[in-house]
Amino acid sequence: MNEAKRKLLNKRYRAEANFKLFGQIAIGLALLFLAVFMYKIFSKGYTAFQKTWIVTEVHYDKELMLIETDNPSLEDLENADYYDIAYKAMTRLDPSLPEEDDRQLIQMVAFTYEQEVKNHLLKNPSLLGKIVPIRLTASDDLDQVHKGNYPRDIPEEDRRVNDYQLKIYDILNERGDILSKFNLSFFTNPDSREAELAGIASSFMGTVFSILVCLAFSFPIAVLAAIYLEEFAPKNKFTDFIEVNINNLAAVPSIVFGLLGLGVLLAVFNLPRSTPLVGGITLSLMTLPTIIIAARASLKAVPPSIREAALAMGASNMQTTMHHTVPLSMPGTLSGTIIGLAQALGETAPLILIGMVAFVNTIPGTPVDPAASLPVQIYIWSESAERGFVEKVSACIMVLLGFLILMNLAAQIIRHKFERKWN
Amino acid sequence: MRGNGTNMTKISAKNVNVFYGSKQALFDVSLDIMDKEVTALIGPSGCGKSTFLRCLNRMNDVIDICKVEGSIKMDELELNSRKLDVVRLRENVGMVFQKPNPFPKTIYENVSYGPTIHGMAQSKSELDQIVEMSLKKAALWEEVKDRLDEIGTGLSGGQQQRLCIARAISVSPEVILMDEPCSALDPIATAQIEELIDDLKKEHTIVIVTHSMSQAARVSQKTGFFHLGKLIEFGDTEKIFKNPDNQQTQDYITGRFG
Repeated sequence: MNEAKRKLLNKRYRAEANFKLFGQIAIGLALLFLAVFMYKIFSKGYTAFQKTWIVTEVHYDKELMLIETDNPSLEDLENADYYDIAYKAMTRLDPSLPEEDDRQLIQMVAFTYEQEVKNHLLKNPSLLGKIVPIRLTASDDLDQVHKGNYPRDIPEEDRRVNDYQLKIYDILNERGDILSKFNLSFFTNPDSREAELAGIASSFMGTVFSILVCLAFSFPIAVLAAIYLEEFAPKNKFTDFIEVNINNLAAVPSIVFGLLGLGVLLAVFNLPRSTPLVGGITLSLMTLPTIIIAARASLKAVPPSIREAALAMGASNMQTTMHHTVPLSMPGTLSGTIIGLAQALGETAPLILIGMVAFVNTIPGTPVDPAASLPVQIYIWSESAERGFVEKVSACIMVLLGFLILMNLAAQIIRHKFERKWN
Repeated sequence: MRGNGTNMTKISAKNVNVFYGSKQALFDVSLDIMDKEVTALIGPSGCGKSTFLRCLNRMNDVIDICKVEGSIKMDELELNSRKLDVVRLRENVGMVFQKPNPFPKTIYENVSYGPTIHGMAQSKSELDQIVEMSLKKAALWEEVKDRLDEIGTGLSGGQQQRLCIARAISVSPEVILMDEPCSALDPIATAQIEELIDDLKKEHTIVIVTHSMSQAARVSQKTGFFHLGKLIEFGDTEKIFKNPDNQQTQDYITGRFG
């Protein structure tokens, strides 16, 4: 081997080594960004899955509750007055406090504390007349203090928790009367103005309904369109034109579809505003081209030899398509559909335009009830000034990401399980 | 090898011209295919023999730009007519392709597909019978009778091709077209298929396109030699291989070109 040839060979090896190195750097950077992103979200959000409670004692005093009968029915308990006993349950925490400052104690729990006292009794009517321990949802500010997210060293007038409340908190904490438990209500409560009560139930259901509506509208239309274009339509200028426009449609910014939903679905067809029905139809406009493109690609991937085999057996075009081509293309179509839906899942802009950004404090039971959606919920909470919502934003992102990961996983599994190797 | 032909013409092609767009692929091809005989079409790649074969069951219809002129009559039926029902034609003219292409379904479903879509069986047991008969005729029954519900694409190459033959004969076609059926197979599988072809000609008219001249010599009674879209010579296989009239045929079969 002469010198020139050896140099050339070394150069070729070096080029390959460099290429590999750059590839590894690129992947390393991508993983690093992902790790930083995940760390930020998890470190901020994991506390949202814990809820802080204050333990106190409540005396279910019949007189204060204005119950006159000896054997009160459930209805009587339902209609009883809980204001006084709930109030007393809180002031009991510091009997030495002058009456005019009682609000300071009341502010340490969620404004629904009276309801919580009531619900506790309704669940166990036998507690009537007794003095029992009860746990009440702590206010979001106290919750943040307990989780260590609230700085205690800033001047008192800048703090939403004053020195007195901190003192009571410290005493209670010492006694073990501050509890931290899994935050179930984050998943079962609808949105609320109070961070300690706000949950994702309404936006989660809104997202589920939107996606179902989106699937119901986009999948049949897209698959039929794809089958027609791929298997039946003549190849001419007109179908080329359609193909170009489907690809264009896939590239249209989603906010434009939101305007379309606003202008057509709401203004012309008068569909109910802020509902998953309208949201789902709007999203299906976005998903439609994605599914058409995926379905056509997987129809194209069915080898022509299968079509020829069926045609040569005397199957009609329709039979060839329905018996052979379409079933063979289904795994690809389905995973394309799921990916399209996963994109729709994260869409925010079009939903804001059709009014799914409204504050919804009920859980939707049908697609025509007003609802928010997970990404819009993230948007709404991130606009809130209260500290308690910061962790909620991250927690909601985690739920959305979990949803997305599940869907992409499903797409992967379908693709792998049903993937055919053509020999 | 002597034919058992009835000396009746099954298919008669007259002045067939085929165009792919502006390119002409076949020039004035005329030949007669005898009933219950094996007719082999040989020639170098791109000579138009497969194109001619695909005229016989109208598979060229699949190609948009393909245009066929001339007359191809099967018995009294004009095949190259717009009015022809291609579904009925393909029921009568089966085809076996170059690469085994069983459906990615079970062995049973592969063979029962044709009889099912053409409504040939009134009951499940009748269908079972057709499947068994077809697999037996294709010399595959003994190998697969215990695993009819396995996927057809899981068989070996030779078995797959015999499955395709079983599928083709399941609808009892009068004519079977074979487009280089052994080109993807090893010599043992090839020998099995050739033996099978010999059996099948008792009931079917067979037209086979092949690259292997020895195969044409072994299985066929008539041979047609194509070159550059023209039928150069057509006649009894023995004569073509021993004493061809045309110098080009002579050169091709002795391996001087192609």
